[in-house]
Amino acid sequence: MKKNNLHTKYSITHQKYIKKLRNDKIFIITMQVLILLAFIGLWELLATYGVIDPFFFSSPSRIFRTFITLFSSGTLWGHIGITLYETVIGFIIATFLGSLIAILLWWNEKIRHILEPYIIILNSLPKVALGPIIILWVGSGATAIITMCVLICIVITTISMMNAFLSCDSDKILLMKSMHANKFQIFWKLILPNAIPNFMSVLKINVGMSWVGTIMGEYLSSNAGLGYLIVYGSQVFKIDLVMTSTVLLCLLAGLMYGGICIAEKIVLNGKKSTKTEQKKRK
Amino acid sequence: MLVKEHMNTLLEFKDVDFYYQTKEQEIQALQAVNFKVNRGEFCSIVGPSGCGKTTILSLSAGLLSPSNGEILINGEKVKENDSRIGYMFQRDHLFEWRSIWKNITLGIEIQKPKDRDEKLALAEELLKKYDLYSFKDRRPRQLSGGMRQRVALIRTLVLEPELLLLDEPFSALDFQTRLKVCDDVYNMIKSEKKTAILVTHDISEGLSMSEKMVILTARPATVKKIMNIDLIGDTPLAKREDPSFGELFESIWRNLTNEEKQPAH
Repeated sequence: MKKNNLHTKYSITHQKYIKKLRNDKIFIITMQVLILLAFIGLWELLATYGVIDPFFFSSPSRIFRTFITLFSSGTLWGHIGITLYETVIGFIIATFLGSLIAILLWWNEKIRHILEPYIIILNSLPKVALGPIIILWVGSGATAIITMCVLICIVITTISMMNAFLSCDSDKILLMKSMHANKFQIFWKLILPNAIPNFMSVLKINVGMSWVGTIMGEYLSSNAGLGYLIVYGSQVFKIDLVMTSTVLLCLLAGLMYGGICIAEKIVLNGKKSTKTEQKKRK
Repeated sequence: MLVKEHMNTLLEFKDVDFYYQTKEQEIQALQAVNFKVNRGEFCSIVGPSGCGKTTILSLSAGLLSPSNGEILINGEKVKENDSRIGYMFQRDHLFEWRSIWKNITLGIEIQKPKDRDEKLALAEELLKKYDLYSFKDRRPRQLSGGMRQRVALIRTLVLEPELLLLDEPFSALDFQTRLKVCDDVYNMIKSEKKTAILVTHDISEGLSMSEKMVILTARPATVKKIMNIDLIGDTPLAKREDPSFGELFESIWRNLTNEEKQPAH
């Protein structure tokens, strides 16, 4: 109904323009689906006709069968649950702690300068190297995996959030000062809301990073979870299991990323202009 | 006579020196700056670029302290974060995440004054008076550049400052909007009976808005000339039509170009 109204309201050129936009969108989505279908189809065909050895490469139908077996045996939910739990907890702790440290570093310039070299070193260090130490200190299992996840995400969170806090326009701070705002008020009413778009980007980065952390952790020490299934599957040459777990990981990570994107849209709904406005002024 | 003059003076710079410290050197920005701004007066400060115009505003606002000399408001030294001062910047700096109402009441929210209700009533009154009331729940991005500057001025006026400091508040606007906003801001300041200091690099803007013009030398800035301007017209736009406008412009322009030719000391 609404669409009809639109059509009667606008010129033919405009209708054509709208149609072109819609057609472009449909084309892009169709191509995206086609690529996936072609990939799955080709993989299946090559496996069926023996061009590739399904023992090493598995095949979509074998992955599907493994999924059904795991699902009906009831073990699948346990593995998904534990990995999801570790990832989400790691993600939350790292985001929260990292932001907290960023606030401290913004608040006190001296502390920021003192800690700068340590943060740089921690950022460049491959956190996986700390795996054995983590296991020694906190023991194996979920705690070690969550610790690994936190370690991987926390430094980048701290650095990104600190830069977001520091990038606030100095004239805006001056404005707050001219209104006699104290440091807490400057932070609460200006610095923090100003950094929300950056915070959403950090969340997006952290989604990917926290999955890396959890799977790394599960590779090192675990007896359950999707990472465990991948390691176990490769050790006993059950490539179907490895592939099924990988596909599930793809789906879960995609879902979590999608969730953050939706949250971003809701949060930034009223803020979207800030960035465009800044660009315009530059 | 002397007593009367003293009563009339709102801001006074007495032999003010100011030095900036940088890693490489100490830079003298101001040298023995002397001038007075009377109550209700609109005063412009012009000078070669980089001469220290904004430094004068920061000193007046108490955001910086003079190296020598003193700055008095109502005969008392300016304090750090002086509540008698309102500041308006080159850009409106409205917070995009706040509605127009929330933007103009930001200062009240920060200062939590005892007469909060009266200040809120004033905010509402000012919004109504300057035709922005119907936009009070909108976001800043939904307003035009000129409207945004008016909102920024109301945000400052709500706190009832005695002296308004305007740091090139129209420089981010295009020329046409600029003329219009210039008129709007001038009318608002005059109608609220405020004293204002405008720092600008645009001579005609300064001329059309002010009753007094302070011309500064190149750095270290000192006062080269103080001119009393008496153009006929109710608004800056009308004042531009005054026959002596061009002559005054010429004279100030000559003063300034002489300055820019001379190398800084």
